[in-house]
Amino acid sequence: MKFSLNFIQEFLKVNLPPEQLAKKLTMAGMEVEGFEKSGSDWIFNIEVTTNRHDWLSIAGIAQEIAAILGKNLRIKSPQDKKQPLLLERKVIIESNQDCSYYLGRSIKGVNIGPGSQKIQSLVVNCGLASINNVVDITNYCMLKWGNPLHAFDQDKLEGNIYVRRAKKNEFFIGIDGKERVLDKENLVIADSKKIIALAGVIGSKNTEVDDSTKNIFLEAAIFSPLTVRRSRRRAGVDTESSYRFERRVSPEYLEFASQEATRLIKEIAGGVLKGVTKAGQKPKISPKKINISLNGLETYLGVKVPEEKFKTIIASLGFKFQAKAKGQYLLFPPLQRFDLIREVDVYEEVSRIYGYEKIPPQIPFLRKAMDSRVVDRGKDIYRFNSELADYLARLGFKEIISYSLQGREELGSNSTLLGIEIINPLRKQENSLRFSLLTGMIKSLGHNLNRSQSGLQFFEVAHIYLNDRKGFSELPALALGRSGKEDEFFLLKGAVEKVLQYASVQIFEFREEKLPFFSDGLTILSKGKVLGFLGKLDQETVKRFSLKEDLFFAQLNLEELAKISGEKRYKPISPYPAVWRDISIALKKQVSFKEVEEVIKARCKHLVDLRIVGFYQGKNIPAQTTAFTLRIFYQSTDKTLTAQEVDIFHNDARQALSQIKGLELR
Amino acid sequence: MEQELKKLKEDFERDLAEAKSGTELETLKVKYLGRNSRLAELFSQIPALSGDQRSFWGRRLNQVKKDLAAAWEKATGSTDGQQESLDVTFPSSAVNSGSRHIISSTSQKICLIFQKLGFDIVEGNEIEDEQHNFEALNIPLEHPSRDAFDTFYLNLAEKNNGKYLLRSHTSPSQIRVMQKNKPPLAVISPGRVYRPDVVDATHSFMFHQIEGFAVDTEINFSQLKGVLLCFAREFFSQDVNLRFRPHFFPFTEPSAEVDVSCIICKGQGSKTKTQGKRCSVCKGKGWLEILGCGMIHPKVLEACAIDSKKYRGFAFGMGVERIAMLKYGIDDIRLFYENDLRFLEQFSL
Ligand SMILES: [Zn+2]
Repeated sequence: MKFSLNFIQEFLKVNLPPEQLAKKLTMAGMEVEGFEKSGSDWIFNIEVTTNRHDWLSIAGIAQEIAAILGKNLRIKSPQDKKQPLLLERKVIIESNQDCSYYLGRSIKGVNIGPGSQKIQSLVVNCGLASINNVVDITNYCMLKWGNPLHAFDQDKLEGNIYVRRAKKNEFFIGIDGKERVLDKENLVIADSKKIIALAGVIGSKNTEVDDSTKNIFLEAAIFSPLTVRRSRRRAGVDTESSYRFERRVSPEYLEFASQEATRLIKEIAGGVLKGVTKAGQKPKISPKKINISLNGLETYLGVKVPEEKFKTIIASLGFKFQAKAKGQYLLFPPLQRFDLIREVDVYEEVSRIYGYEKIPPQIPFLRKAMDSRVVDRGKDIYRFNSELADYLARLGFKEIISYSLQGREELGSNSTLLGIEIINPLRKQENSLRFSLLTGMIKSLGHNLNRSQSGLQFFEVAHIYLNDRKGFSELPALALGRSGKEDEFFLLKGAVEKVLQYASVQIFEFREEKLPFFSDGLTILSKGKVLGFLGKLDQETVKRFSLKEDLFFAQLNLEELAKISGEKRYKPISPYPAVWRDISIALKKQVSFKEVEEVIKARCKHLVDLRIVGFYQGKNIPAQTTAFTLRIFYQSTDKTLTAQEVDIFHNDARQALSQIKGLELR
Repeated sequence: MEQELKKLKEDFERDLAEAKSGTELETLKVKYLGRNSRLAELFSQIPALSGDQRSFWGRRLNQVKKDLAAAWEKATGSTDGQQESLDVTFPSSAVNSGSRHIISSTSQKICLIFQKLGFDIVEGNEIEDEQHNFEALNIPLEHPSRDAFDTFYLNLAEKNNGKYLLRSHTSPSQIRVMQKNKPPLAVISPGRVYRPDVVDATHSFMFHQIEGFAVDTEINFSQLKGVLLCFAREFFSQDVNLRFRPHFFPFTEPSAEVDVSCIICKGQGSKTKTQGKRCSVCKGKGWLEILGCGMIHPKVLEACAIDSKKYRGFAFGMGVERIAMLKYGIDDIRLFYENDLRFLEQFSL
């Protein structure tokens, strides 16, 4: 909101240089976003927070400035003078939920013209356009008191005035010239024939005050904040008027605003007040009472505000108060402030005017109950995840952060794999929550592969969101991704093993499985529970995302992993040397290495490790066969194995292996 | 041509046997395998031959070249003490290193500072409901104060706590913890949050926040200031200051926005140190807004069945991206989610 310093001076003399005023306002909570000179005036642009409807008026801002300067400003309450009743036109309010009070004044015999220079410049300096003398006066009074007014051309009105809901598909052209189709959400002002305003939002073209207008019907009213909010949202329009009604306008100044507008119209545009008509009840604001103890204030803020200072502050803010027992006060907040209800509201008022900077910083001792269950040690998932992330960085993986939102059919239209849908997405590309971290990994790798990078390895720790028959869930997950060639699969598999080892998962297995989006896949299990999967992205998906390298991807459920993660225990290291023997094997494609491994593990005594030390290709190797050398390590925990002993074990292993169909020892 | 090759091989073998030093071997290499060698000359005749001949002699010459090269390699290997020195001026080979993402490492750094002060770290869920994201935080339905929290809604069947949504701030964690646990409490809660903002250099529909709060019988505003000052000095540097400006948040009362003295111009803005030039980071103001905070509104405590007569609390919230951008001089928020290697590598752990 913009306010003019000259306008403020109508209430209060302010001698402070504008820079200093701006700083003081900002430090008291009225943030000045900028200020500039305009002729003899200074224009301040302030941020009005939603709790301070009173700052949408010059009167309210003046009250605030008075408090900051430690001055007393008593804005006089309006007085209801005897005024003639208007008999020719009645106002009928359909529902007092929508409009509690409506005040109309009939002024006849005005001359529309440019009006007063002074009012014009104040209105313009507060950011509104100057239209004509009458409209400028209604705006001037709105700015001054915070109550929007509207002037109708009375000769264009037909019959009584109705405050009612619009009917479905009723038509409306605002003074902005835009056509709108209304419905029940819209509260309107109508006469017997037509809609003459979108209540509290914008007037209608059909009753607009123009150069030929002679007679005026001046509206002042209290509309429900919620009704105005819904109505203007529905109509897709936001005006100075609706902005104020939405934040609640005070009935305190309503009469005053209307009276002052009438007086100014008579003075500037001529005319005579013919009568006043009222409908509904002016809402009675019962004065609130707040009990405050200075001791309570001190313990809340952590600073002692001197009693005299306290009294000056609340008085300058417009509170009335009575001193009770020592250090006890009964406060009556100013009626035009709706936001002062309980002690804490007063604490804030006092502290911000006193100055937050006067509150000394202190380090508290943060007590926690010893049996606090806030973080269960065993399930400290934050710690588990962040330490795991540190570990992956040490393994040489780079952490990425990718969007949790993705296109619903980005990975294809398989209905079982559609994420949770977003009702109001910004774009189609981000219309669902991801069920896997795969797309984020693909996009991040793709971005870099398109920039001449290669052989990348990334990881991400983030939530995935699932929705199935059991309902929806949100799970922390780890994604590992490597781009590159065929054998990268085994590097990724190694990384997964490292992660399991890091989490001290002793028992786990990989199971071959056909996974969606992957051409070669493994499920990772521990004691029957699925921990995750890894695989090579299938060519269809590689093409879908135009990836320049193959992608190997693994995903682990971190909640499950954290749950089964064990404590680290020292395992004794054998003091006796390990001995190894090699076996060269040619394996037909239909036999998996897993069978070889199982036989060796079952048959080899003192086996501690086995590794592949080389793959072979060439003329001597038949098609559909993998040839490799397996190195088997033997070690005993209680003696040094002799060469002869190892040979015996090794021969056993060879024997067993030679029984496998499709396996040839070379 | 076969004759030529035979002669060539003989000459080569003889010369090779006679060669003594590394230099002589090098000369030999140039003579027999270089660009102007007899072999090269023979190669140059190949294109002129007819089809069959061409491929035959192509293979043949290649074989000879291979043999000569192998023999030469073997000879050089045996000239002991004559090993070539390494040209150490060649550029280094790439060394692969892993790293944490700047957002998660910044978030972690912040959380650990608060942990040292006695806060527990708790993560909340991103799928929330209206009750926890709004109502319990004193943000009523259809109140203008909700306008500051545009929200993504989810297509999930509504239950007792209103519509499901993606949390628009980390404050719902505060509610969750307070509903489940009895004070005294001191918790810090980091995580992703979402708002339907069109992406540009300073906006993103997804970003990260950190929420912190403490509830006990003696909590006061002065302690809130102390805790945040302590954090700012630990995180930015020991010489920074904080400025608390009154503000409005529905869930705190009193509330404040907090500025840190500009880490670039040291809070000078446009004066002295920068010789009158306006500091571009703080736009000459000398202060940078970093977080919002306040004393927890009694209504919020009451919504969590905590006796607001007995207990009080403070709470604060900050945006991780904003803080990382200020601290590291990053000028485009999109860089965080693009994961360009050239960006990630600048913040190796
Ligand atoms: Zn600066």
